[in-house]
Amino acid sequence: MFNKLRIGKKGENIIFGTFVLLYIGWCVNSPDMNIESLKSVLTIGLSVGIIYGLVALGISLIYTGLDVVNFSHGEFFMIGAFAGLTMFNLLGNQDWIFNIFPDAYGWIIYVVCLFTAFVSMGLFGVFIERVFLRPLTKKGGGYTVAGMGIIICGFGLSVVLINVAYLIWNPVAKPFPAELGLPMEIGGLFLPITYIWMIVVGLSVAAGLWFFLNKTKMGLGIRAVAYSKDVSNLVGINVPLYISIIFGIACAIAGIGGTLVGPTYQVVVFMGYIILMKAFAAAVVGGFGNLPGAIVGGFTVGIFETASSFYISGSHKDLYAFLLMIVVLMIKPTGFFGVQVKMKA
Amino acid sequence: MSMTNSYIFGKSEKKIGGRLLKIDQLISGYGSVQILNGANMKVEKQSIVALLGGNGTGKSTILRAASGLIRSWKGTIEFNGEQIQNLPAHEIVGKGLVQVTQGKDVFPAMSVTENLKLGGFILKSKQQLSDNLEKVYNYFPRLNERKDQLAATLSGGELQMLCIGRGLMSNPKMIMLDEPSAALAPQIVLDIFKNINRIRQDGLTVLVVEQNVRMALLLADYGYVIKDGVINVEGDSKKLMYDESVKESYLGGTKANV
Repeated sequence: MFNKLRIGKKGENIIFGTFVLLYIGWCVNSPDMNIESLKSVLTIGLSVGIIYGLVALGISLIYTGLDVVNFSHGEFFMIGAFAGLTMFNLLGNQDWIFNIFPDAYGWIIYVVCLFTAFVSMGLFGVFIERVFLRPLTKKGGGYTVAGMGIIICGFGLSVVLINVAYLIWNPVAKPFPAELGLPMEIGGLFLPITYIWMIVVGLSVAAGLWFFLNKTKMGLGIRAVAYSKDVSNLVGINVPLYISIIFGIACAIAGIGGTLVGPTYQVVVFMGYIILMKAFAAAVVGGFGNLPGAIVGGFTVGIFETASSFYISGSHKDLYAFLLMIVVLMIKPTGFFGVQVKMKA
Repeated sequence: MSMTNSYIFGKSEKKIGGRLLKIDQLISGYGSVQILNGANMKVEKQSIVALLGGNGTGKSTILRAASGLIRSWKGTIEFNGEQIQNLPAHEIVGKGLVQVTQGKDVFPAMSVTENLKLGGFILKSKQQLSDNLEKVYNYFPRLNERKDQLAATLSGGELQMLCIGRGLMSNPKMIMLDEPSAALAPQIVLDIFKNINRIRQDGLTVLVVEQNVRMALLLADYGYVIKDGVINVEGDSKKLMYDESVKESYLGGTKANV
C-alpha cells in the first residue's frame, strides 16, 4: 500500500525494457500508425485504463485491509452502474431541474448519479461485508481471515449478485443517455465528452482517496489496520468497524467506476466479470496491494489493450490484458511498485 | 539496597494507593491450546510490577488477555474497579489500560509523528494530542530529533522508545510493557528503564514483563514469577532477588550480583 518504486534487479528492468521496445516496434510497423491514431489510442486507453484502475484500487484496498482478493468486486461495479442508471431514469424526466439549470442540466443530473452510485454502493458494500463475509471471520478472532472460505464466498457472491441483478433489470443491455454536451476538441482531436469525464472524475476519486488516507485521522486508522490488526487494536482502533469502512470505500469506488462507464458503453448485467478480470490484471501489473500502483497498472493495461487491438489485431481485444499480466509476472513478479518498506532489524 | 536502586534509575518514591489491576483465576490460551491455568495477580496504583518467567510460560498471554487481544476463557480481570475481560480491545484502551508491544511492532511505513498520533487515536481534542506529543518528546528527546523519519529507519532502541511513547499518547492509567529490553544493548536498556521509572514518578502504573530478571527486579517494587501458566512465586522484588527458587530457575543458580 505504501510501497516505493522498485529500482533494484537491473536484469529484470533490461528484459522488461526489451519487451517494451519490441512491442513499440511492432506497433510502429503497423500500417495504421500515424499521429492521429496514436492520439485517439492514448485517450481511449487512458479513459478505459482509469476504470480498470478504479476497480483495481478497490481490489487492492480490500486486499490490504482484509487480506483477501475480493472476486465479487466486478459485481459491485455492475450494480453501481445500475444504481446510477436508476437515478438517471428517475431524474431524467423531471422538468423542474431543467427549469432551474437550463445550461448545466445534463451535468448536474450526471453528478447526482455518480454521487448516488458512490453512496449506495458504499452502504451496500458495508451490508455485504457485515452479513456475508463477517461470519466467516469468526474463527480467526473476528477480523483475521482464515483459509479459502472467504475467497470461495466471493465467487459465490458474484454469481448470486449477477442473478439478482438479472431478476431486477433483465439481461437486455440498457443505454445510459447522459447529456453531457458536444465532443470537445483537444489537440486537433474531437473527443466524446464522456471520455474526458472518465479521466477527470477517475483521477479526482483517486486523488481524493489519497488525500483521505494520508491527511485525515480515519485514513491514518485505515492505514494502521491495513498494516497490523493487532497493533491497531492496541492503540484503540475499532478494527471490525474499520474493516467495514475499508470494504465500503472499495465498493463505493467501484460503483463510481460503473456509472462512469455507463454513458460510453452500455449497462449490462454481465459487465462486471470481464472488468474484474482486467482490473485484477491491472492490480498485478501495478503491484498487488499498492494503491498508486493500481492506478498506474490500470493505465498501463488500458493503453496496452487499446493499442494492441488497434495496431495488432482487434479480434482478440480481451486477450491483451492477460498477456501483459503474464509477461509482468514472468519478469517482474512484484509488479511495477511491488516492494514493501521493510524493518531494518 | 534502595540506595543502589535510586542510584541506577533516579529517585523513586512509592506513592501507592489502592488496587488498579486484579487478575483472578485467569484461564486462557490460543485456539484450543490452554496456556494460563488460573493465574492470580494484583497491581497497586503507581507501582512497578515485574512479571517474570521463562519462554512459553504465559507471560505475554496474560498481557494479551488483559488488553483484550485474546478472550479469557474463565476468571476475571478487574481494572480500576470494572470487569474488563469481556470488552473488545479498543474499549480497554479507552479505560486507560494500554499494552506496549515489543519494538518491532511499529508501523514501519509511517513517520515517527504519525506512529505517535496513532497512539493517541482515541483522544478527541487536537490540543490534547499535541500536548501529549510534547510530553512524549520530553521523555524521549531522541524521537523529537527523528520525528519526520519513517519508523523503518529507526534503530532498535529508538523503536522501543517509539513503542513506549505510543503507549503513553492516550493518557493511560497503566501501561503493560512486553519485554522492553529485548535485543537491546545494556546502555540503552538502562536508559529505557530510567524512563520507565520516570513514567511511574509522573503517576502511571507499570507492569513490565521481562526476561532480563535482574534489571526488572531492581526496577520493580513487586514481582511475580509465572511457571506453567500459574503464578509460582510472588513477593517484594528485593526478597525475590534472593529467593532460592527464583535464583535457581531464572538467575542461573548464582548469587544475584547487585
